[in-house]
Amino acid sequence: MIRRDISDEAGARSDALMIVSVIFITAFTYIALTTSPVYTGVGVGDRVPELEGQIYDGSSWVDYNLEDHIDPLWSEGEGGTWFMIEFMDTNCGYCQQAAREDIPTMQGQWLGENPPRSTPENVSVEFLAVSISLWNEDVAGKSYGRDVIVEFRNDNGHNFPYMDMQDNSYENAWGKLGTPTYFLVAPNGIIKYTTPEASSEFSVWDAMNEEIPWGEE
Amino acid sequence: MMVAGLECFDANLLPHLGIFALGVAMLTPLGESLTPPALRSKWKSLETKLGRIFAGMFLISFSGFTVSAHTLWMHNKSQEMGGGSFCTAGTVCDCASVIGNNDWNTMPFLGLPWGLLGMLAFALFMWLIISMAKDPAASWVLNHLKIGTNFAILGLGIILYLMYAEYKIGKICQFCTTAHIAHVAATFGFITLSKMYGTSDWAVGNSSVGTIDPSARERRKRGGYVAPKQASEEE
Repeated sequence: MIRRDISDEAGARSDALMIVSVIFITAFTYIALTTSPVYTGVGVGDRVPELEGQIYDGSSWVDYNLEDHIDPLWSEGEGGTWFMIEFMDTNCGYCQQAAREDIPTMQGQWLGENPPRSTPENVSVEFLAVSISLWNEDVAGKSYGRDVIVEFRNDNGHNFPYMDMQDNSYENAWGKLGTPTYFLVAPNGIIKYTTPEASSEFSVWDAMNEEIPWGEE
Repeated sequence: MMVAGLECFDANLLPHLGIFALGVAMLTPLGESLTPPALRSKWKSLETKLGRIFAGMFLISFSGFTVSAHTLWMHNKSQEMGGGSFCTAGTVCDCASVIGNNDWNTMPFLGLPWGLLGMLAFALFMWLIISMAKDPAASWVLNHLKIGTNFAILGLGIILYLMYAEYKIGKICQFCTTAHIAHVAATFGFITLSKMYGTSDWAVGNSSVGTIDPSARERRKRGGYVAPKQASEEE
């Protein structure tokens, strides 16, 4: 008959592993319970990546850094500025259509003094178009440059700034984006809507209506 | 909280520095006088040089672990409060500017915070040390020493990279520097242990081996495997 010989002696390595695991889990649990980090990215709930360049504000090209306009300590219910950021290409057919048909209506609804879409007094909305290059100038029929951006903006009657990002340097932080891609960014820099994550029936304009607080009617 | 006149000294570092200093002292001849009889009677190994080195190494690794955990906590807090847009009033010694810098505060390719790597590295050191301290005569001790020494030396390269990051940022993080110093001390400790291995100092530390049941020692040699026996063999 085979008899099992039981040893009560635990391995030194297993004992040590248990001690270290307890220390590690305790430390990790404490960190997890006392912090709530938000990471930078391009998904809903992420902190908006860096966006810095020159913008055409209707009269000249000036430096612009999105981070300077963000209040990291903002919380729901407080006043602040919401950003609708559109990544577009002046040569992209869908961008041209949106610039011609949707955006003039929407800027009339959201921008300027006392826009029709009411917001609380301390809440404002800004649009920012970021002009990127899906092609290059060697491709027949495609033209780029700051003059093209200015012409595009003026032809469509837009009154919000356009950023020149035609060197596509945004890709380091934002990744490669198709056009048009829209982002809705809360005053604290947290992304509330992105086109790639939304269904085709739910546009950035719907998200703005839903997310941005209403003023008194 | 900063102590006036000592801008680079942050009082929050005191617990980590205290554990670290005790660990370093245990590695020196001071260690013998630092261990009161009450501790020696509880942990017999503290009576030997090897036992005190193990204790010192554990304390050094533990201080490295706690300070790394502290930097991970600070990293998470900085991400909570705006990530790269983190500003403080510190001068050259300014941990927030280093840990809050999104260009340097995570591992390249993996994107994990450096504090987490520190925690994992020091947890590995603690495991190696505790297991060796529990059974200094085991057959795998030499492997543990090799793993510890090689990882510690590899870590020195990572420390150089992080020092370069601090140079580029133009600030020094006291918490990161404490973790770096703990790592260097642990490297020194592993090298010391490797030199001691096989010498009389190691044998002294292994004084209890003589009292171990020979069958238990045999079992340990086989890696814990206990061969089944026939009942007749038993009798």
